[in-house]
Amino acid sequence: MSTVERETGEVELFDVEMVSRLVELMVEKDLREIELQEGESKILLKRGTGGEVVQQVLAPAAAVIAAAPEAAPASSPADDGADDGLVPISSPMVGTYYASSEPGAPPFVSAGSMVSTDTVVCIIEAMKVFNEIKSEISGTVERILVQNEQPVEFGQPLYLVRPS
Amino acid sequence: MFSRVLIANRGEIALRILRACRELGVETVCVYSEADREQPYLRLADQTVCIGPAAPAESYLRADRIIAAAEIANADAIHPGYGFLAENASFADQCRDSKIEFIGPSAESMRRLGNKVEAKKLARKAKVPTVPGSDGAVTDDAEAVELASKMGYPVMIKAASGGGGRGMRVAHNEASLRSSLRQARNEAEASFKDSDIYLEKLIERARHVEVQILGDQSGHLVHLFERDCSLQRRYQKLMEESPSPSLHSKTRTELCRAARRLGREADYYSAGTVEFLVDRKGRFYFIEVNTRIQVEHPVTEMVTGIDLIQWQIRIAAGESLSFRQRDIKTNGAAIECRINAEDPENGFRPCPGRVTEYIAPGGAGVRVDSHVTVGTEISPRYDSLIGKLIVHRPTRDEAIRTLRRCLDEFRIAPLKTTIALHREICDHSDFLAGKVDTGFIERVL
Repeated sequence: MSTVERETGEVELFDVEMVSRLVELMVEKDLREIELQEGESKILLKRGTGGEVVQQVLAPAAAVIAAAPEAAPASSPADDGADDGLVPISSPMVGTYYASSEPGAPPFVSAGSMVSTDTVVCIIEAMKVFNEIKSEISGTVERILVQNEQPVEFGQPLYLVRPS
Repeated sequence: MFSRVLIANRGEIALRILRACRELGVETVCVYSEADREQPYLRLADQTVCIGPAAPAESYLRADRIIAAAEIANADAIHPGYGFLAENASFADQCRDSKIEFIGPSAESMRRLGNKVEAKKLARKAKVPTVPGSDGAVTDDAEAVELASKMGYPVMIKAASGGGGRGMRVAHNEASLRSSLRQARNEAEASFKDSDIYLEKLIERARHVEVQILGDQSGHLVHLFERDCSLQRRYQKLMEESPSPSLHSKTRTELCRAARRLGREADYYSAGTVEFLVDRKGRFYFIEVNTRIQVEHPVTEMVTGIDLIQWQIRIAAGESLSFRQRDIKTNGAAIECRINAEDPENGFRPCPGRVTEYIAPGGAGVRVDSHVTVGTEISPRYDSLIGKLIVHRPTRDEAIRTLRRCLDEFRIAPLKTTIALHREICDHSDFLAGKVDTGFIERVL
C-alpha cells in the first residue's frame, strides 16, 4: 500500500491513487467491504447494493481495551528515531499557524535558522487576534512540522530545534 | 441544523452529547486536556482538539481556547455540558459574538437567573412561593440579625452568585450569625467575585424537588415534571428519582406549574431546572434555577421519553418544540445513582486512579451513562463521577428491585466507589417508604 510522506512528516491518508485502486478491486472482485489498518490510520470502504462505493475514513483508533500509556507525551505522529537531541517548540495556544508576518513575506524561520529565546518563530491566529509566538529555546531550527495556515492545537509541536 | 458541534466538556457528559449529535447527523468536535488524551470516547468524535494541560483553569475553563478550537474545526455551535463554562454568561456572549451558537439559554437569562437574589424577585413576580428571608441582599449586619430573630433560627446565609450547593452557611443563633456574616461575604468574594449575600429561613427536614423545564426560541415552554433529589450529602446529590415518591399529586401539579410560570416570566428557552424545597407540611418553596442541563437529566428522559440533549441542540438550531404541555406524560418510575470514585467509609475521600476492572450492569430497564471502561484514568483534577446508573420500571418497587440487582452486578476495581453505599440505601426503610429528606444521608451514616 502506498503512503505519501510529506516534508511535514505527516502520513497522508487520502492517497487518491490508492483509494481508486481499492475501489477497482472491490468492483472487480465483487467485494462489499474492505477495511485496512496501518499503525494508527484506518480506512473503511463500503460498497452499496446500487454499485456505488461509500467511503468512510475513521479517526486514528487505538485498541478499545488497552492500558493507557503513562503520561502520554505531547508529541505529534511525526516522531521518529531521528529526533535524538532535538527539542520541540510547541504551540502554546489553539489557532491557525502562519509561517510569516503577512502573505508574501518571507517566513520568520526556515530550516537552519538560528533562534534565541526571544525570536519570533511564527504567528498563531485565534478569534481574529494575531499572536507572535516566541521560540523559548536557543538553537538551530532543524525541522518545520507544520504548514502555513494549518490549524494547530495546544501542545502541538511546530518546530524541532537543535539546542545550542 | 448545525453541521458541527464542539463539545466543551469531558467525561460522561461529553460522551452523552456526542451520542446525541451522532443521532441528529451532526458532526462532532471534542476538546480535551492533556490529562484526557487517552479517553476512549474521543475516538468517536469526528475531530479532537487539545486545548491545554490538565488543570481546568488552563483547559476546560479557557473560553478563548475553546472558541479558537471551534474556529479551526469549523464548528457552528458549542455545547457546554454542565459545570465548567455551562453557566458562564460571558462565555455564551463570546461564542455568539464569534458567530458560533451557544447551546443553552440566552446570556441575559443566565445572568438574571444566575443571580439568586434576582431569581427570587422573578419568582415572586411569577407568584411562585419563595423561602422566607431577606428582601434582596443583606448589606447591614444589624438588619440581618433583626430579620433572623423575626424569622427564627436556624437561618441560612447564601451567596447571591453561589448555587449548586456552594456558598451557603447555617447559623443557629445570633452569635454564630454575627461571626458568619463577615466570613460568608469574604468567601463569596473569593469564590464568586461577588460579596453579596442574602438570608433565608432554614427549612428543616426538607425534600429537594426540582422541575425540568424546556423552552424553544418561539416562546413555547413546557415542564417535564419533577425529580426528587433529596438523597444528598453536603449538597451533592447521590441519587435522584422521578416521580417524587411522597408528593401529593396536587402539590406535584402546583409545583410543576409554578416552575413553568417562572420559566415563562424569565422568557427562558433551552433546558433548565427549577429547584424547590418541600417542607414536612408539603409546602414548597423556590430556591434557585439552574440554567443548564443537569447531571440527573436521564431520570426525566426515561419517564417522559424525551431526549433532552437532542432537544437542546434542536432548540439552539431554531427548531420549535414538536409537543405541547398536554402531550407530556410520565410513565413508570426511574431512579439514578451517581457512581463516584469516592470512599464513603473515609469521608468520601476521592479515589482517583486507573480502572482495571469494569463490568457494567444491563438488562431490561437499565441505562448506564459512563465514559469509563477498563484502562480509563479517573483523574484527581476533575470530578470523581465514574458514571450514572439509571433504572426505569413500571413501578417504584420494581425499579428498586432492578436497582439492587444492578448494583450487585456492577464491578469496578481497584478504586473505591459509592456502589456499596447505594446498595445499602436500597435496603433502608426510609428510602423504601419514600420518606427521605435532605438530612437523611448525614443522619444515617
